[in-house]
Amino acid sequence: MKSNSNNHDIESSDIKDIKLNEVLNANKNLYDKLNKIPEIEAIQSIEVEEEISEFIQDSSGWFSIILSRFKSSYSENELIRYAVWSLILIIISTSALTVVEYDMFRDSVAGHAEGSFIFGGDEPNWVDTFFHTFWWAIVTFTTVGYGDVSPVTHLGKFLTIIIMLLNFGVVTLLGGAVASVLVAQKLKGDENLDENKFNKHLIIAGWNSTVPNILKIIEDNKDANPIIILVNETEAETVQRHIGNFERLDITHISENCTQESVLKKAFLDKADTLMILPDSSGLLPHEEPAEDKAVLTCLTAKSISESCNVVVHVINSDNVSHLQRANANEIVIPQEHVPHLLAKHVTDPGVPQFFDDLIVQEERDQGLQEVAIPKALGGQTHNKISAFYKFKYGWLLVGYAIRKSGFSLDDQMGESGSPLIRNMIKEQLDGAGVSLTSDEHVVVEINPPDSYVIDEKHRALVLR
Amino acid sequence: MKPTPEQIKKINHFSQVKLENCQKIADVVDLQSCEPGTHLFKEGDRGDTMILVFQGQVEVSKEMMVKTSSGFATSRKSIIRLETTDPKPESKPETESTVFVVEAPAFGIGEFSLVLDNAIRTAHVHSTTSLKYGVLKLEDFTKIVKENPGIGGNVYFEVAKAAVNNLATVSGDVSNLTQAFFYALSR
Repeated sequence: MKSNSNNHDIESSDIKDIKLNEVLNANKNLYDKLNKIPEIEAIQSIEVEEEISEFIQDSSGWFSIILSRFKSSYSENELIRYAVWSLILIIISTSALTVVEYDMFRDSVAGHAEGSFIFGGDEPNWVDTFFHTFWWAIVTFTTVGYGDVSPVTHLGKFLTIIIMLLNFGVVTLLGGAVASVLVAQKLKGDENLDENKFNKHLIIAGWNSTVPNILKIIEDNKDANPIIILVNETEAETVQRHIGNFERLDITHISENCTQESVLKKAFLDKADTLMILPDSSGLLPHEEPAEDKAVLTCLTAKSISESCNVVVHVINSDNVSHLQRANANEIVIPQEHVPHLLAKHVTDPGVPQFFDDLIVQEERDQGLQEVAIPKALGGQTHNKISAFYKFKYGWLLVGYAIRKSGFSLDDQMGESGSPLIRNMIKEQLDGAGVSLTSDEHVVVEINPPDSYVIDEKHRALVLR
Repeated sequence: MKPTPEQIKKINHFSQVKLENCQKIADVVDLQSCEPGTHLFKEGDRGDTMILVFQGQVEVSKEMMVKTSSGFATSRKSIIRLETTDPKPESKPETESTVFVVEAPAFGIGEFSLVLDNAIRTAHVHSTTSLKYGVLKLEDFTKIVKENPGIGGNVYFEVAKAAVNNLATVSGDVSNLTQAFFYALSR
């Protein structure tokens, strides 16, 4: 009886195995079949726009890059500007004189260059003449004036008079520009930053030991803007030591007080994408706590310069949260709030804290939890489609969405209710009092929404790579 | 001169009243006319007359507190203009309208006086074109209603409808103002 029952057990476990395998195979088949469904193929064929735009940039070639570089340096650097004008003036006058005084310059070449190389061989041709005129133009422009050649016709002399008068101005400006460049180089310590470089950049106000780690993570994320300005009063050498070994990042350090309006303006806050405010331990002894009211002041100043700038603040003491909220900080990071959860989870759900550790702390290059843009072609689709897109195209797990919510808008809230007169009066009065009708936009997350959840252009995907 | 019953029926409040009953109302209304810029109602006054405008345009305005460069002051703000379409006003209004112009074949103002004794005028009303209008006294109207209760039903229903609509708008205004108030306080 006993052996029988044993046999029965073995049989039933065999049956279980077979059934399990069947289910697994069925799943595999389903997966394979899914991969062959036209819709999935269509999903896989959806390209992310960024790839396309990169391609376009590649094909447009080096010429446009050189042209744009030249354009920007022309508009910024007065030395280049005057040099370009001088060159244009020299070429125009050379051409004009070559035409007007062709015979004279040609004869002069014949007289001077007898026996030595000339382009025309035996007789000087127009290239020799042009070069000779060019020589005359340079001698005239630099005010050296050898006098070996000079125009003889009235028209030639008249043109030369005009050229010399124009040259008088150009040489003065060029000389002035050279002097100012030299002076500027001497004062380099106090120079202004190159305005064109900074757009949608990150400003980190305050310095503490977390900054290098923050920079490391930004460095590792290829999509993040590499232009970063650090504003703090820590010694330049200390900062330099920590930021020296980043390859991708372009970091500028402004060694001034970040609560000052002029300093934040110097860091082009009005054009910045994000201002990150950290507890500042500049100039503090190791055991001293950073003063957090500085963060509140910086936030207030920043928001008065640029309402639209995204301000992220790290606070240690949660008492300051209310002040920062009042100062309109967009996001407030309070590490203290996470600690109890992580500690408790070690007891209630062992594994969860380790999971977070792996996910956040040990983030590798292009791995871990990341926020990516959803291709425009998928706008208006449901969550299950987006999820399938990332699964089948990249093998990423879509865990949720980050949604940029424009803040509360009084205008939207009022809608069409009440009389237009009162609504307009409210708007006029608030506008007059300098109260903006909308509060700042902020990011909210939607984790693991139902399959039928519809996404719009404000959604960005949070994926596990 | 008296208006015709057809003229009376064009006015929204009397649109449901039978033509022979409109005749009874027309009999107690005197036709009058006035120049542009004539004040018909003053805000805060009490009155027991309703004005029936048969031709022309009027502007409704209210005293409101506004913030100016030198502080707070009350000033008269136009709210709305009402204009007849059948017939249209004889001339263009004296001043361009800065507010919405509501058009109707003919219209009545101060209709609450048909319900309330000594109703308070809630806004200023003045003419912006020359007007042809009639004045209906509460006393006369009440007498007609007593003799013909059907008229009362028809007219009071329209007045109630207007009152309910106003109430909905006002409740929207109160909600908007409350929100704006808290919003401004929290900034």
